[in-house]
Amino acid sequence: MSKQKGGGDLRRFYIVFAALALVGIGAVGYSVGSRALGGAATVPLALDGTDDPHRLMEMAVPVVDGEETAPITIMVFGDYLCGHCATFSLRERPRLLTEYVRTGKARLVFYDFPLNPETGTFLAARAARCAGDQGRFWEFHDQLYRSQITWGMDSSKAGVFQKYAEDMGLDADQFRTCLNSDRHAMEVSANRELAVALGISGTPSVLVGTGQGMSRRVRDYLYETIREAVESLLEAQG
Amino acid sequence: MALAILSLLGLLVSLYMLAHALGFTGPVMCGLGDCETVQNSRYAWLGPIPVSGLGVVGYLALLGASLLGLQPSFQHSRAVPVLLLVGTVVGVSFSAYLTYLEAFVIHAWCQWCVASAVLMVLAFLTSLPEARSFRSATGA
Repeated sequence: MSKQKGGGDLRRFYIVFAALALVGIGAVGYSVGSRALGGAATVPLALDGTDDPHRLMEMAVPVVDGEETAPITIMVFGDYLCGHCATFSLRERPRLLTEYVRTGKARLVFYDFPLNPETGTFLAARAARCAGDQGRFWEFHDQLYRSQITWGMDSSKAGVFQKYAEDMGLDADQFRTCLNSDRHAMEVSANRELAVALGISGTPSVLVGTGQGMSRRVRDYLYETIREAVESLLEAQG
Repeated sequence: MALAILSLLGLLVSLYMLAHALGFTGPVMCGLGDCETVQNSRYAWLGPIPVSGLGVVGYLALLGASLLGLQPSFQHSRAVPVLLLVGTVVGVSFSAYLTYLEAFVIHAWCQWCVASAVLMVLAFLTSLPEARSFRSATGA
């Protein structure tokens, strides 16, 4: 009798066990399947609280190059598929870095502003930040601008970004995991919202300020124009 | 039986995290904590091996041993309870190390890692009475 009872218990256990295993494997399989449908965040998130400027400023997270104590802040809003942004980043920015950032006079603050996120610019912004997780944001940023046409026309943008990461010697698995997730989606989305809230409609947009109070929009992105704005602020500060 | 169920749950959690580590899933479903920070940290990998892969191997071993222990021919085996006890002690120790990393090094929590740690502790507690009863039986 007791042997029969034990056999019955075991049978019941196997049924529960098999059901649990099936449900669990189904759930894991579903999450793997959802990746095939596009697991990586490629468009901005809908954020709560962006109506409040203070909250928005807190949510927006730029990438900063330069010392925190620098008296001048140069804010740049850029889109990775914008040709003028490439010109700014590859031609004008190095001069600003040499003249102002490396000398401690200014810090350069970059905000992502993917104008048409669905064209791959949102994913590109996230990719640059994934590289930033490994301390290589600016290299990846420049690589994206150098090869805009290549990745811009490629249908498998994530694959191209992955290759850039590997060519740069980044930890490939870490980068892939980051890109195939929604990591940094919130920062990039908030940066975009901030640009819209500031009335910025084009890229690159450069604002120069002292970090306290309003920043002044510079009329174009050329080194000479930005230099003028920075010098006048430095002069005003004495 | 309880140990087999706990091992199965642990295996499923580890499988999910392994699929994520290898880039086969989308964003981690993370209602509590900051799973992405933990999973993207360098501690999520031991060299070329994802930590979740070790979890899969560990839980598979526990599951295999616990199912084996349910078979009539192994019900009086000394090896199975000892193996389960040793396995869960190793699992609890490793989970404690990972929990320490989350709390004091990464400063972020992943609900799946916490769930795995809890399951491993429960598995250890479940394996204790069986090992103890076996010891007392052989001691008598």
